[in-house]
Amino acid sequence: MFWKRKSTAPPAPETDDSLLIDVRRLSKIYHEGKENEVRALDDISLAVPWGEFLCILGQSGSGKSTLMNILGCLDIPTYGSYHLDGQAVSELPPSTLSAIRNREIGFIFQGFNLIPALTAIENVELPLIYRGMPAGERRRLAKAALEAVGLEKRMSHRPAEMSGGQQQRVAIARAVAAKPPIIMADEPTGNLDSGSGKEIMDQLSELNRQGTSIILITHDNKLAEMARRIVTISDGHIISDRAGRGYA
Amino acid sequence: MNVTQTFLMAVKSVLSNKIRSLLTMLGIIIGVATVIVLVASAQAEQKYSRLQMEAEGANRIQIYRWTDDNRLSEEVNDYCKSQVGKTLASVGQYAYGGGITAKYRSKEMDMGNEGNCYFIDEGYSDSTGQKIVLGRDITAADVRNQSRVCVIGDAVRKYFFGAMSPLDQKLKINGQSFTIVGVYASRYGGKLNTEDAFLGLPLSLQRRISGWEEAPDLVACGIDSDSVKKFCSDAKKKFESKFETNGYFDVYSNLQWQERAETEQNKESAKTAGIAAISLLVGGIGIMNIMLVTVTERTREIGIRMAIGARKRDIISQFLIESAVISCMGGAIGIVFGCIGSAIWGKSMFGGMEDNPFMPVVDTFLVTPSISLIVGAFLFSALLGIVFGIYPANKAASMQPVDALRTQ
Repeated sequence: MFWKRKSTAPPAPETDDSLLIDVRRLSKIYHEGKENEVRALDDISLAVPWGEFLCILGQSGSGKSTLMNILGCLDIPTYGSYHLDGQAVSELPPSTLSAIRNREIGFIFQGFNLIPALTAIENVELPLIYRGMPAGERRRLAKAALEAVGLEKRMSHRPAEMSGGQQQRVAIARAVAAKPPIIMADEPTGNLDSGSGKEIMDQLSELNRQGTSIILITHDNKLAEMARRIVTISDGHIISDRAGRGYA
Repeated sequence: MNVTQTFLMAVKSVLSNKIRSLLTMLGIIIGVATVIVLVASAQAEQKYSRLQMEAEGANRIQIYRWTDDNRLSEEVNDYCKSQVGKTLASVGQYAYGGGITAKYRSKEMDMGNEGNCYFIDEGYSDSTGQKIVLGRDITAADVRNQSRVCVIGDAVRKYFFGAMSPLDQKLKINGQSFTIVGVYASRYGGKLNTEDAFLGLPLSLQRRISGWEEAPDLVACGIDSDSVKKFCSDAKKKFESKFETNGYFDVYSNLQWQERAETEQNKESAKTAGIAAISLLVGGIGIMNIMLVTVTERTREIGIRMAIGARKRDIISQFLIESAVISCMGGAIGIVFGCIGSAIWGKSMFGGMEDNPFMPVVDTFLVTPSISLIVGAFLFSALLGIVFGIYPANKAASMQPVDALRTQ
């Protein structure tokens, strides 16, 4: 990955370089030491190889979203270590974290998280703008991504003018437009009817088949079965780590 | 993130909130418009008085002496003459000619009502900045010989002769025949009731024509601004005490008036500009306020942008550019109002001035702000937006992405 090329320090010897995600004894504690202390994640260890289709399964309040925020470089752990592609994330400066989120990870959120003032294509272009891509190339990639999710006729619509399913497809197009090696999806089908939900899952499966590592976060057991590996999390602990049926 | 893109987004966001943006801009609009009107009108006033001064001769000096003592009077004359070539370029004498009527064939002109008649000597025109455009001036010989010759101003020439040459024509002045030997250049548009309606007769004919005689006044022209000042202070020192018991002596220069007036104007401008600056400050605070509201409203958007890879500086530049766009738009609207306001101000200040006998010839007397003033006002409003945008932009950029995303 790009930030490794710049790094002069060798990776810590105990980390496994071949792993995409290497989480060791990670805890996230809010209001630590106070009466209202919350252990959102408690002593979690997790290793994920490249190309995995992993599902993190858990009820609401289990800590799965906190885990995704940390894995997605949006938040930092209180204790423990997190290595992404062999690099200790908590040691990286904010600008490098921004660049990782921009180039390596595509986010799909439950609430779509599109910018209401921008049209579909402008929303898809946004990460490419932050990457510094020239306008022509960026437009081409954004168009291709929207076509891939079947929204070529909705490019100049604003989010408010689209259905939930369409909005989520725009969000997917935004996540995949730059072809990042990792996709993180937090309840991507949460606000959708079952038809639209299936379509989204099919698209994720297809991306995984093409080599993208997928991390799916859900509370839905049936959805989780589409992944190749299911990690169940409850009360901040991993309670099971098993194979899923996979999309095949 | 590229600047054009951010700029377009900022314009879009400002336009999507028209009323709010306009209200935010109000302080800047008022501030910029006020500054422009004030500075433009101050500049116009200075330009006007400078033109007026130049028309009368920038280095012109008036010497007033009034006394029964003819010897003392002569002493002043001699002193002034002795200064020619030292501090003075020329010195002349003149006496007002009252109750004089000029006549050419059937046309008549009451010089007391419609113009100015002076009995002058050979130094008058040089000292008052008058220039001969046609023929010759009154000479020392004319004065000595009491020649029946006269010089006329442009308005008198137009009135009596139109396109015809006035040279060697005979004017009847209080019934006596005078030959026109020269014409002075127009300085006030050649209009009646201005200094252009001028009639000059040899000084020695004062008693003969107007029926009485009074001591002529002195007028001089300094070599340069320094010598004007030197002459004025020297003359005062030399004569003021001598006239103290018998009569009155004073000397003043256009330069001195002009300098005094300009200092006053500058002081006045600085005061009003200070008030306008307060309005600009309030405008800037208004922008900061609304930008803080915008940042709070758009916390989630900021979170999304950060999640998909916006760096701190991308967020900062986004909000800085947005506040600069607001203040620049405000500045631009303020400039438009400032130009309109200047024109209205100019009309009220200089309107009707065409009839003022001291109004110098100017192409137009519209008060128009200079280009540098407009550019300066625009750049200053941009600066204002950036300065007052720093705090809100920084606030936006220092949010934690995960907290920002959690906001609804």
